[in-house]
Amino acid sequence: MSNTRRGTKWGLAALVAMLAVAFALAAPHSAYALTTNKATARPNENGGSGVIGGLATRLTWEGTVEEGEKVSSVTLVLPEGGTFDGSSTKITVLEGLSRAKVEGTATPADTQLEVTFSEPIEAGYLLRLEVEGMKFPADGGEVSVGGSYVNQDGEQQLAESKPIKTIANTPLQALVATLDEAPWVQAWNSNPFLGMFFKPQLLATAFATLVPGWLLCLLIVVIAYPFAIVLGLIFALMKISKNPLLRLIAIVYINILRGTPLFLQIYIMFFGLPMMNINIDNNVLGVIVIAINASAYLAEIFRAGIQSIPQGQYEAASSLGMNYFQTMFDIILPQTIRRVIPTVTSDFITSYKDTSLLSSVGVMELMMFAKNLTSVSGNMTPYVAAAIFYLIVTLPLIKAVGYVEQRIANSERGGGPRPKGKAAVKAASAGEATPLPSELGVHFEAARDDAFGTSVSPLAPVAVQEV
Amino acid sequence: MSTYTTTRRGFFGAASAVALMLSACGGSSDSAAPAADEAAADYTLVKEGTLIVASDLDFPPLDSFEDGEAKGFDVDLSNEIASRLGLTCEYLPPTNFDAIIPMIKQGGKADIGNSAFSITEERKAEIDFTDAYLDSNLGIAVKSDATAKDEEALNADGIKIAVQSGTTGEAYAKENMASATIVPLTTVTECMAGLSTGHYDAVCADLPVVGNMCTVSFTDCEVSVEIPTGEQYGIVVSKDNPGLTAAINQAMADMQADGTMDELKEKWFGSVSE
Repeated sequence: MSNTRRGTKWGLAALVAMLAVAFALAAPHSAYALTTNKATARPNENGGSGVIGGLATRLTWEGTVEEGEKVSSVTLVLPEGGTFDGSSTKITVLEGLSRAKVEGTATPADTQLEVTFSEPIEAGYLLRLEVEGMKFPADGGEVSVGGSYVNQDGEQQLAESKPIKTIANTPLQALVATLDEAPWVQAWNSNPFLGMFFKPQLLATAFATLVPGWLLCLLIVVIAYPFAIVLGLIFALMKISKNPLLRLIAIVYINILRGTPLFLQIYIMFFGLPMMNINIDNNVLGVIVIAINASAYLAEIFRAGIQSIPQGQYEAASSLGMNYFQTMFDIILPQTIRRVIPTVTSDFITSYKDTSLLSSVGVMELMMFAKNLTSVSGNMTPYVAAAIFYLIVTLPLIKAVGYVEQRIANSERGGGPRPKGKAAVKAASAGEATPLPSELGVHFEAARDDAFGTSVSPLAPVAVQEV
Repeated sequence: MSTYTTTRRGFFGAASAVALMLSACGGSSDSAAPAADEAAADYTLVKEGTLIVASDLDFPPLDSFEDGEAKGFDVDLSNEIASRLGLTCEYLPPTNFDAIIPMIKQGGKADIGNSAFSITEERKAEIDFTDAYLDSNLGIAVKSDATAKDEEALNADGIKIAVQSGTTGEAYAKENMASATIVPLTTVTECMAGLSTGHYDAVCADLPVVGNMCTVSFTDCEVSVEIPTGEQYGIVVSKDNPGLTAAINQAMADMQADGTMDELKEKWFGSVSE
């Protein structure tokens, strides 16, 4: 805090007294009839924890009246640049935990706030002043609150409070202030719907402050998912295995996880494990829960994918002398992966959205930040901002799923680019409708009706030409 | 539940609803409650003849939800106020604490919020408060076997303090224990469950409630710090409904005068604080 006070007599007096205290007496706190317990300020950084100078906030000052003293008025003094102007003060006098019926009036005058009481405050009472709407000096720094009080012996100096850390204005806060002033913003906010869900000031604040939560969501799901895929694959293979024990384990695992809400699984893991003295970091636990939950769904997806591959391929593989693992990893799974990509992506989207449930157990993810900001502002806009953060990830993925599905559907139908074979057929059956491979059967029948005598199969002309 | 019908009606727009209520309230005179008749013309209700209350109902002994029924000091208070106004009291299902003030401000769902709201300037900017009906303070609960128990020890890096989102306890923790991580949760029960299982190092919330929870439900925890803040609870009413605020203030003043208020305090807290 700076010692450069000027202007009022009070300031000079304070300076003299301070110097006296600092250099001559070095008196302990007991010398004060009204001790300064503490002075704190409410963080006024939107979505943050900083106390910004030059912006309205609330100062809470507490002092205790010492033995054998009576205090009839208190004056708080801020350093130069701070102001009490426009503030309102809540005066609370407490004896222990119960309120004493002491009235008071607070008169703000620039850097000073004079509080006088209807009757002097007796010894042992706690005085609590909450000054709403005061401002600290705009350039920030460490600010101590000083001042004076009047007891039965006259005016005395107050001990300086422990310094309060304040900061200068942030660019974000400046933007919010600009928006506050803008006429279009005021008009916009006067509409109850727009003001409640799309308040521009809060959108700006939310976009800036929700980012860490959003990144944590992404981090959790991106780390969890590879584990979920591996686990899911293992349980899928177990479920289709011929060993009844493995099948049983897989069925129990998958059914329990798919049959209970994720929310409940989160509660069991987050509250249950610590009770067993297993203490894992919240974020890591979040990854574990999401991975385990997703693995059950993935297991079912993989199982369905594997079983959709025709039995003939297993037979073909075994006729080539391949063992089970060779069949699985070289023949079946590569085709399965292609088929399950859209479903797995959808499941990824679900898992990503499900991270929001972790906010209920204290993981500092996107919803938690949004909830915080909403509870501070009493406005729904932060939730809308959170929705946008979710959509930034999910919309492109949904689009991608659609595209991949389309491609797969096309290729399974036999559309899309195909290597040579088709060109040969086209050239051969000149003029005739080219049979697509998947439609071959049908065309074969047709061909038999038309030209049974000349050709045994639609491919026959090729053979004839080649001969 | 009938409240959902009300919810839907809320969407038709406040204006038509208000007009309806006004005419309806004026017409239905109840000879048993003359006081209510006078006031009826001055305020509007979401549902005719019913005082709909929003509360988180998870704040014993003030608000709780047992066997599907709202119970607690606040609940008795709401019921008493409603009956003095000649209305039926109806509680919404438990509502998230931090959603109640926006809900009352927005209107259309509930008439009042009565969920141990401390009267603060910040909240006054959004809604109106009735006169204070109860004094309160804050308290910090920790595990009985914890080492960090006082404010100074808890104000440290790596310490996690659970608070209920939107409460004065949250504001206090943020202002006074800035070095710790403040974790805002939906209910105090969640906070205490997390404290009991070792998830958080402390819980900062209203003293009567943490005191109750430490003695009734979470006996392995204790109140380590009593913070004298001298805050007072008030009932939340929309700024558009000053008539209702006045009517409730009148009802509460009557309750104070005839001793009903003290009876209620005696019933729920075993003592009369004032």
